[in-house]
Amino acid sequence: MMVLIVVIGYPIGEAIVRSLFGDSIGGTPPFVGLSNYVSALSGYHSKEFWASAGTTYFFTAVTVTLETLIGFGMALVMTRAFRGRGLMRASVLVPWAIPTAVTAVLWKWSFDPAGIINAVTGSHIVWTGSEWPSRTAIIIADTWKTSPFIALLILAGLQVIPEEVYEAARIDGAGAWQRFRLITLPLVRPALLVAVLFRLLDALRMYDLPAILTNGSNGTTTLSILVVRATLSQLKPGYGGALSTLTFVFIFVTAFAFVRLLGVNLVERSEK
Amino acid sequence: MRGRRDLQIGIATIGIAVLALSGCSSAKSGSSAGASGDSGVGPITFASGKDLTGAMPQLIAKWNDLHPDQKVTFIELSASPDDQRNSFVQDLQAKSSKYDVLWDDVVWTAEFAAHGWLEPLDPAQVGGSDVLPAAKASATYDGKMYGAPFMTNAGLLYYRSDLVPKPPTTWAELEADCSIAKAHNMDCYAGQFNQYEGLTVNAAEAINDFGGSFLSADGKSVTVDSPQARAGLQQLVDMFKNGSIPPAAITYQESQGADAFTSGKLLFLRNWPYVYTAGSADGSAIKGKFGMTLLPGQNGPGISSLGGIDLGVSAYSKHKTTAKNWVAWMQSPEAQKVLVSVMNQASVLKSLYTDSTLIATSPYLPTLGQQLLTANPRPVTPNYNAVSLAIQKNAYAALKGNVSVDAAITQMAADLKQAIQ
Repeated sequence: MMVLIVVIGYPIGEAIVRSLFGDSIGGTPPFVGLSNYVSALSGYHSKEFWASAGTTYFFTAVTVTLETLIGFGMALVMTRAFRGRGLMRASVLVPWAIPTAVTAVLWKWSFDPAGIINAVTGSHIVWTGSEWPSRTAIIIADTWKTSPFIALLILAGLQVIPEEVYEAARIDGAGAWQRFRLITLPLVRPALLVAVLFRLLDALRMYDLPAILTNGSNGTTTLSILVVRATLSQLKPGYGGALSTLTFVFIFVTAFAFVRLLGVNLVERSEK
Repeated sequence: MRGRRDLQIGIATIGIAVLALSGCSSAKSGSSAGASGDSGVGPITFASGKDLTGAMPQLIAKWNDLHPDQKVTFIELSASPDDQRNSFVQDLQAKSSKYDVLWDDVVWTAEFAAHGWLEPLDPAQVGGSDVLPAAKASATYDGKMYGAPFMTNAGLLYYRSDLVPKPPTTWAELEADCSIAKAHNMDCYAGQFNQYEGLTVNAAEAINDFGGSFLSADGKSVTVDSPQARAGLQQLVDMFKNGSIPPAAITYQESQGADAFTSGKLLFLRNWPYVYTAGSADGSAIKGKFGMTLLPGQNGPGISSLGGIDLGVSAYSKHKTTAKNWVAWMQSPEAQKVLVSVMNQASVLKSLYTDSTLIATSPYLPTLGQQLLTANPRPVTPNYNAVSLAIQKNAYAALKGNVSVDAAITQMAADLKQAIQ
């Protein structure tokens, strides 16, 4: 408990306290109450803030959906017994093993106007030069990187389903779709939900991919980019603290709602 | 089994390395805290960006031989300016004396000075008559010099001398020459138009050239809302619209433009002098086929934004006298000649641009010297980051055609006002 307070409570508390102070250059920062929050939520910077909150949730919704579908598909393939399964499992994990920043640089080169994507498809799209191509590029890169992660978690869930259950169903005359819907899905659900929850938290904090691919231009500024910009680039720890607290609240509320609505039982699982 | 043992050995190795590293750093901070004298004379540390040429230790050794009791220790930071700035800011906020002399990008000087992190310097010592006026201006904040100009930089126009008979001096001439690019199936002109610091530089050049500006000289009021600034931005927007600038250039930073030019796909390029090295290297597609001239302007040569590095003395340094003497020495002709001939960087001393031995290896020096005489510092303000972001964001929207030039400048003025508050 002490450890929790020191490593989690203190930084969060410090950020919240700092966010109540202003950012004057030189001298001690004045106490400004909630005005940093007001400035972000409804003041001059509100347009920027809500736009990047929208962007963040858009990226989260699209990437997590795609990654779950693709990851599930990959897990279903990997769980079957076939020759070279070990190799397959290992190679699928390669994108996940590459650091995100490196992934971002790889995709930046691929999406260059003179890069491999345009060369292979014969198109002349300036990928990082306008809104939707930029967003598409980021979504492709993120999906490429994180689908294996989801696949791995779901695979773990699939492996604990006993083969006898399927056999019994087959004897009872259940088709492939029925077996998937009535056996696989319910039994893999806990693992699936945990995987999605992890991805949800991760995606809401997305920073590296847009920062490197587009530097936040063309409507790809996420909340994390705003926080870094305010705190490090502009040396405004007060305003930056308010932004990071807001981001924290957003993520917390989203995760809480997800757990409540879908009943992810994290505690029970870890006690087992 | 074998694999697992290897893994354990690997982890152990990393552990030892981490211990060794942390041991090193604590030893270092111990020694610098230990020795302190009232005279302000003694060993100092100097932190700079990554030294790609390897010449910096050579330069420092020269000083160390002359001053064995006031040795300079060289600390090499990241190659990325943003990371360098983060290292400095973290230490300065903690009032640490880890770095005595700081490598300040010209756009940081005002910010560091306003925070009280830099020691004011004596203009007689670091602002002599041979130092370029624009470099002095960029090191000055609130009437005082807070840095010794060390390196400077200006953009130049690269052109294909084998295809263009006479290099253009105005935008109109350059656009007329685009027919040559078309005939050879090349792109015509590019600079740095991605949304980052380079766009601030390029937009500032166009706007300054047409007589516009961003902030007043004291940095306290916004001046961008003018017909001149609109005309400057309009020039770039028109070139994107009529194809003089290719659509891909909206993603160009320095290196992409340099690649396009050195691989023979671009007729004109605005860039810093460093592309000369890559362009004249063996194996370059344009070796011996390109020239460098002054930037184009409205009615004659244009105005460059000023780049460069000032050497600042930390307010938390324990040996300020030595630090001040050393930054002055780094500005002496002796040190500056190494800067030009070995590091291939632009000197802050006017006299070196006419030095015939230096011109023999860097033939562009006279042109660069001329461009530097009219170069403009970027807005000098402690809120430079927010100011630059406001310029980039709105210029970018206009270049892409998302908003009209008029609306972009109006919004830029509003954003700048907010940024300098």
